[in-house]
This record gives sequence, C-alpha cells and structure tokens, in this order.
Amino acid sequence: MADASVLDVRDLHVSYRTPAGPVRAVNGVSFVVRPGERLGLVGESGSGKTTTALSLMRLLQEPAVVEGGEVLLDGTDLLRLSEGDMRMARFAQISLIPQGAMNSLNPMMKVGEQLRDTIRAHRNGGTAKGSTDGRIREVLESVELQAAVMNSYPHELSGGMKQRVCIAMAILLNPKVIIADEPTSALDVVVQRQVMETLRRVQEALGASVILVGHDMGLMAQVVDRVGVMYGGKLVELGPVRDIFKDPLHPYTQLLIKSLPNLETKEDFRGIPGLTPSLLAPPPGCMFHPRCPHAMPRCSVDVPVLAEVKSERWVACHLYDLEANAA
Amino acid sequence: MSSLLEAQHVSKMFGSGLLSKGQTLAVDGVSLIVREDNPSITAIAGESGSGKTTLARLLLGVTQPTSGSILYRGEKLTAMDGRARKNFRREVQAIFQDPYEAYNPVYKVDQVLTTPVRKFRLAHSKDDELRRVEESLRMAGLRPEDTLGRYPHQLSGGQRQRIMVARALLLRPRVLLADEPVSMVDASLRATILESLVKLRRELGISLIYITHDLTTAYQVSQNIYVLYRGSVAEVGSVDRVIKEPKHPYTQLLVESIPLPDPDVRWTTNGSRPGSTAAQAKGVEKENHGCKFATRCPYVMAECWETPPPLFRIDEDRAAACYLYKDNPAVSGKEMAESIARPPVAV
Repeated sequence: MADASVLDVRDLHVSYRTPAGPVRAVNGVSFVVRPGERLGLVGESGSGKTTTALSLMRLLQEPAVVEGGEVLLDGTDLLRLSEGDMRMARFAQISLIPQGAMNSLNPMMKVGEQLRDTIRAHRNGGTAKGSTDGRIREVLESVELQAAVMNSYPHELSGGMKQRVCIAMAILLNPKVIIADEPTSALDVVVQRQVMETLRRVQEALGASVILVGHDMGLMAQVVDRVGVMYGGKLVELGPVRDIFKDPLHPYTQLLIKSLPNLETKEDFRGIPGLTPSLLAPPPGCMFHPRCPHAMPRCSVDVPVLAEVKSERWVACHLYDLEANAA
Repeated sequence: MSSLLEAQHVSKMFGSGLLSKGQTLAVDGVSLIVREDNPSITAIAGESGSGKTTLARLLLGVTQPTSGSILYRGEKLTAMDGRARKNFRREVQAIFQDPYEAYNPVYKVDQVLTTPVRKFRLAHSKDDELRRVEESLRMAGLRPEDTLGRYPHQLSGGQRQRIMVARALLLRPRVLLADEPVSMVDASLRATILESLVKLRRELGISLIYITHDLTTAYQVSQNIYVLYRGSVAEVGSVDRVIKEPKHPYTQLLVESIPLPDPDVRWTTNGSRPGSTAAQAKGVEKENHGCKFATRCPYVMAECWETPPPLFRIDEDRAAACYLYKDNPAVSGKEMAESIARPPVAV
C-alpha cells in the first residue's frame, strides 16, 4: 500500500465484552483511504461496518474495546491520541455523519447555535461571532439550505433538511475524512438521492475523502469509487466499485450481487442459503465457509488473508491462493 | 364479478375539530380490487406519509374509513355478522415490517403457531396440530426442526419473518397483506422471503397485497401497482408499464431515484429538482386545492392548482392522475381497479 493515503487503518480489532465472552465485531480489518476518494464499507447487520466506523472516530462505548491496530490519519495514530487531542481532531480532521443523524441534533437548541458550538469548541476563544456566522451561512448554503435555518429548531425541519444540517456540521471545519454511517437509511428514495448528491458535491468541493458505511449495494454502486465488503467482522473483498460489480471475486460478494433485486429480471430470487455467523462462536477457518458453494477442506482450517490478487483487487479467499502467492 | 377484497373510494381523515386545519386526509378516495378468480400480487407503493399503511389498516378492518367502504366477498366489513367477520379474520391475514414485535419474547415461537390453530379450531388432535404447523413452516421455507422449540431471540430476522408467513398460511388465507415485509431484513435473506411470498400465489393461489416503499422489489414480485402520493393514487396499472415507462411526474421522479445496483447506470446528476428542497426551506406551500404534487412538479400548469386531477386512462391497463394526459379519457378509480384486477384474456 505504497500509494498516497489520507487514512491508513491497520489490523483493527474491536471486541464487545459480554458475559458470554468477547464478541469479535471487528477482527483484523486493514484498508487505506486515498485523498479525495469515496470508499464504501458495505455489509449486513453484524458484519462490523458500523463498529469499524465508530472506532475510527474513537466513539465506541462500553462494552466495546479496541483490542489492537492503528488508525493513521496523515501519519498520526488516532488510537494513541490523548482524549483532549482526539476531541480536537474530531470535526477538524475527521468527522462523522452518524446513523439516524437526524436524531443526533439537540432538540432544545437552534441549529445555528449547535453549529456555532462546533466551531467554538475548536477555537481557543477570540472568535468573533460575525466571522463564525459567516462560515455557518456559507456551509448551510453549500448544502442547499437557507441561512434562515440557523434560527430553526430541529423539529421545524424535514428529515432531509436535518440530514443536510448534519452534513453541514460534518464539513464545517474542513476535515480530511468524512465518515457517513448509513446517512440516508431513514429517508425516502427521492430525498435520499438529493442528500447523497449534496454530500458528493460538497465533498468534491472540499477535496475531502468519504467513507460511506451502509448495507445498500445500490447506493454503493451509485456513489462510491471503491468498495470494501465486510462479512463476520472481516474485510473479505476490496476494489474499484465497477470491478466488484462486474467481476466479484469473493464467493460471498458473488452471491450478494446476484441476490440484489433489479429492474431486469422478475420473480428470479437468489438468496444466500444459511445464516450469518455467530460472532460469539465463529466457525473455524473462513467465516463464510459454512455457506460457501466453493468451500474446500482448508477453508474450515485456515483463515484466509486479504491479499491483492490482481492490480487494485483485494480478496480474502483460498480460491485465489495461487494468484496471491504469485502477486 | 367475483371480487374478494375491495376498497370502494375509501378515505380516512385523521385529526379532530370542525376546522379543516388540524385534519389530515391520510387516504383520499382510493379504490382497489382483488379478485378471487385471478390470484395476483398487487403492490401499494409510496413514500412515508403516502398513506400506504393507513390503507392497509383500512383493508384489514382495524381502522374504520371516514367515507367509502371495504367489502369482503361483497359484504361491507362494517355490516358483517360475527360469523362472516370470523371468516374474514381467517381468510385475510397480514404480516408486518418488524418480525420481532409480533412475538412475545418469553414464549417459544411455537406459541404464535399453535394459538391460531386452537383459536380457529383447525386441528382435531395434537398430532394434527403438529402436522399442520410443520407443513406451514415448510411452505414458508423453514425446517421445523430448526425452528420449533426456540425463543424468538434465537432466530434470525429472516427466520422470524418466515414464521409469520407460516403463521398466516396455517389459516389457509385467501388474501395476505404484507406491509414492508423485507425492509428490515438483510439483503442475503430478502430474496428468500420474497420467493416464499411469490410461491404463495403460484402454488396456493393466495392473492397478496404488497405494501412497500421499494419499487424494485415491487417490480419483482407483483403484477399490478398503485403508486400513492399523499393519500391519493397518482398512477395505477400493470407493474411493467408503470415502472418501465412511468407517466405521472411523481412516479418518474421515484423511478429515477432508485439506486440501481449498477455502477454504470448512475443517477443523472441534474442537481436539485424544481420545488424540492429550496421551496420547502422557504416554506412555500401554496394554498392548493388541486394536484397534491403541484408544489414539486416540474411540469406544473395553471390548471393543476385548481382541481385535483382525475385518473386519465393511458393504456388499457394503466392510468395516471395528471393533467398532462387530459386528452385521454378520464376514468374512475373503481373502473381502473376493475380493469387491472380482471384475469388476462386467454389468447
């Protein structure tokens, strides 16, 4: 991974400590985010995508524990920053549009006040209200909201408008990386499209990178440049979104893409047989082998490692062991 | 005319007071027909606030219409005697979005299956009860040995939803109303549940009413579709026509906004559409007695603000409530419902 990266996640491990034992929600995840790119992290419930996103921001709460790994933002390991330094890094360096972001706004505070708070928390006093409000107005306009929204309470806004406020907050301090965790899952399709287009536009104007976390492969196809597919706490495939849709390498990705409804075929349903793995008692070897149509004896013994099997295409599957060794 | 379940110009008003200010017309004069001789899957599609769930509740008889009626086998739900009502309750079943809420977490899942068997006295013996339960589980694509004797939390969302399908099947319904049955289910399991729903029609001749916000799955499973916008039918017809060549500007907007799982067919970026967020932010909600979509419509004309558009018949099997098609004959909701519910003519 010699190419330029703004964020470099290395061997991240996160567990939830439960009475029944540790649940390994994120189990050795590594990827880089390049400057200005949109990277998707896609997976089903329990795949570890949201836990990964939250650990990059150091926003995990008990009983989740980061067991190991590094999150290098321009060379600085966020996991080793002091709590105070991390607070300064949030929003300014790396920001989050959380899941159900519309409910993350404070219902008792006007929108403008919440945005001012974000700026104030990062400046050591001495910021004139005028210049702060100028920036807020500029950011609100960039997400297609009227400056008058500053004087509104969140409940006075529609879902799509609240989501835009959250985007405005995420870009307010020009961060290098914006993490968007299912930013539109509560919105209708028409509004979803408008909000995603806004996010794309402001991200491009800012030159920031976006990590889009979600379960909707359709949204990934529409929005991101590269996509990482998560399964059972691991990244099983990573590559350019076009390549992954045209020629998925991992058997899970292959079945996932075949299972997607489209407007070409009718009454042609291809689910993935079997169930997602229990993270309390994960299967030995590859997490996907109990459901995999290509499972071989070694799949239930050895854990496959994510390897670049051809240019830009990373996959964790024993089917590609030969290519991986050659590469 | 063998209509099984029928909505005759039903409306539902929420809110109180004599002044129209605090009132919302959640469902506004909708007609819909499901026929016995033509088992079909009818999609009711719309965004949040379109009235689709209220329409479902009206069809199930759990909410009373403000005007219009719901009929089952030609009889008004409100005029049914106990016997007819019990028959309706057995023959029209429903499954809902969240397959967890339907369970009592302290009981094993067996309970949701045995209760209806006992309530409707379907089995003559313990063995017969078990046989029926196992048979319906298999029809829903589940292995009885993997499901019976478990607690709800021990099963996946997909399994819980399929048990709800099995429960509905036990009663040998004629109509199954499915309200967003897969919106909380992961992609890999969604296909399996939709497949079991489609099989109900194909193999058991059960008609389905599939309520969804997702036009892609509506296209996949259904024959006919009603697209609702703020309580009114915007477009109605065969699902192939409506999705493949939408006529109503609202349906066009919905279809264009589908995030297709194909990176080569991306949304055409045309920025914000007229009247979308900018107009909403300004609070521009013109005093409007006409078409409800006028405030967002890119083709809005003077007459759109005057009177709500009736349905105009565009093809034999499709109509749109939009003045762009005013040169076509106007058609009532009932006539349109009748024409799409009719069995296809054998050629």
